[in-house]
Amino acid sequence: MKKLPIALALCAAFVSANTLAEVRINGFASIVGGKTLDDDTTLYGYDNDISFKNESMFALQLSADLQEKLSATAQIVARGDNDFDAEFEWAYLTYEFTDELQLSAGKMRAPFYRYSDFLDVGYTYRWVRPPQSVYNLPFSTYEGLSLLHNTQLGDWDSTLQVIYGSFDGDIAVVSVNGDTELNDIAGINWTLAYDWFSARAAYFVAETTIDIANDTDAGIALNGLEQALRGAGFVDQANDIAANEDDGSFFAIGFSIDYNNILFDAEYTEFEVENSALAKQTQYYTSVGYRMNEWTVHLTYENNDDKHDSNRYNALPAVPALNAGINQVLEGVKAKSNVYTIGTRYDFHPSAALKVDFSRFKDDITDTETDVVAVAVDLVF
Amino acid sequence: MKKLLLATAVTLLSSTAFADVAVIVNPANGNAIDEGTIKKIYLGKAKSFDDGTKVNPVNQDGNSVSDEFNDKVVGKSSSQLNAYWSKLVFTGKGTPPEKLANDQAVIDFVASNNDAIGYIDAAKVTDKVKVIATF
Repeated sequence: MKKLPIALALCAAFVSANTLAEVRINGFASIVGGKTLDDDTTLYGYDNDISFKNESMFALQLSADLQEKLSATAQIVARGDNDFDAEFEWAYLTYEFTDELQLSAGKMRAPFYRYSDFLDVGYTYRWVRPPQSVYNLPFSTYEGLSLLHNTQLGDWDSTLQVIYGSFDGDIAVVSVNGDTELNDIAGINWTLAYDWFSARAAYFVAETTIDIANDTDAGIALNGLEQALRGAGFVDQANDIAANEDDGSFFAIGFSIDYNNILFDAEYTEFEVENSALAKQTQYYTSVGYRMNEWTVHLTYENNDDKHDSNRYNALPAVPALNAGINQVLEGVKAKSNVYTIGTRYDFHPSAALKVDFSRFKDDITDTETDVVAVAVDLVF
Repeated sequence: MKKLLLATAVTLLSSTAFADVAVIVNPANGNAIDEGTIKKIYLGKAKSFDDGTKVNPVNQDGNSVSDEFNDKVVGKSSSQLNAYWSKLVFTGKGTPPEKLANDQAVIDFVASNNDAIGYIDAAKVTDKVKVIATF
């Protein structure tokens, strides 16, 4: 929140410095109501009582075209799950070297996934929310630089983006509030598109530090084990539990088709923080849709499977109690689940869409199922 | 016979309801611009003419001419086009062409801007602008 006045002042400075600047205002909003279908279940922030707040949001974008190929853009977002407090989520400057090459600097979206750049603009995709098994990295913006190169290779459009920067904030990994610092985030992503087909690959690395809080059972167990290992002098083993300046890496590949009203999307991602208790995550989804004029129906399958390398287990055979503790914590942070979603989108207005999604989430570790239904109105203006 | 008359009437009606769309530029603009380039300009993929001048395209605001143009040339419905531009606008990667109210506004704009391109009802073409394609 403290960044808001600074960004506002920056914007004001840019605007007043050049009274000829043309300022455009665009916006988007999603009003979403949803609930789980059974008592004592929670999913995607919903419980059994209907909530219109959880996934609803409202955003304004201000962009100022300064002269000489420079522009300034800011996005102010008010999210229901943050009591609709308005925050600057994007604030950056862009310099266009040529039609094909531009450099941006500031606070921007980290382009992990195919839909990352417009993750919040529900109007641009068919679901109420993109598949969460894949779209599960708990932060979405970074501060730094982005170099974007657009070109045409015959009939293909090529978009190559290279980013560098950092992230600092509270995210939910193992614990609910984990003070997280990602330094030297470096990444590249490349999209090739041909009329009805597009393919994309992305790779990111970052020096990752996550202070896991004692606010979940898994968090308490993990911190307890790390301290016990350290106290007993097993520093290497303790370091292999904590995520402290460890190498994090993220890989994604995906493609999508929009051909004669048939829609198909698939994305596969891998995420790993080496030498930490965090499991190597692999996720994917496949989704088919069919468009009939204003109506779209779709079916999506998602899968999430965490694994540790087998050599991570039994790291301390000499001390059976701690050895068992390590194995237990490694097992405790693992997740394995799948989700089926069926839904429909109705474009009832040129700038607004009504959506209904039903999702069934299956936790393969606890062998439990959770159903959630959500109705959304997404608009752009 | 009745059916034939009806069919003829329907054809006549539909041909008047869906008039041809003429894509126009300033008479001073000598660049060669084919259908593929027009589509790329209106999708923000082509930003300059062959001679290097920045393109300054204009749309019409949600009327039958723009529906016709979007359908025949761009190949997208207004909702699809709105979603397409939202992806660019909200990522700072592009800005959709400005929307003008009607054919006359587009003619005036194109006639007074050498870098402009627009589209109008083919029946409304005047000698103040140059037609480069009709759809």
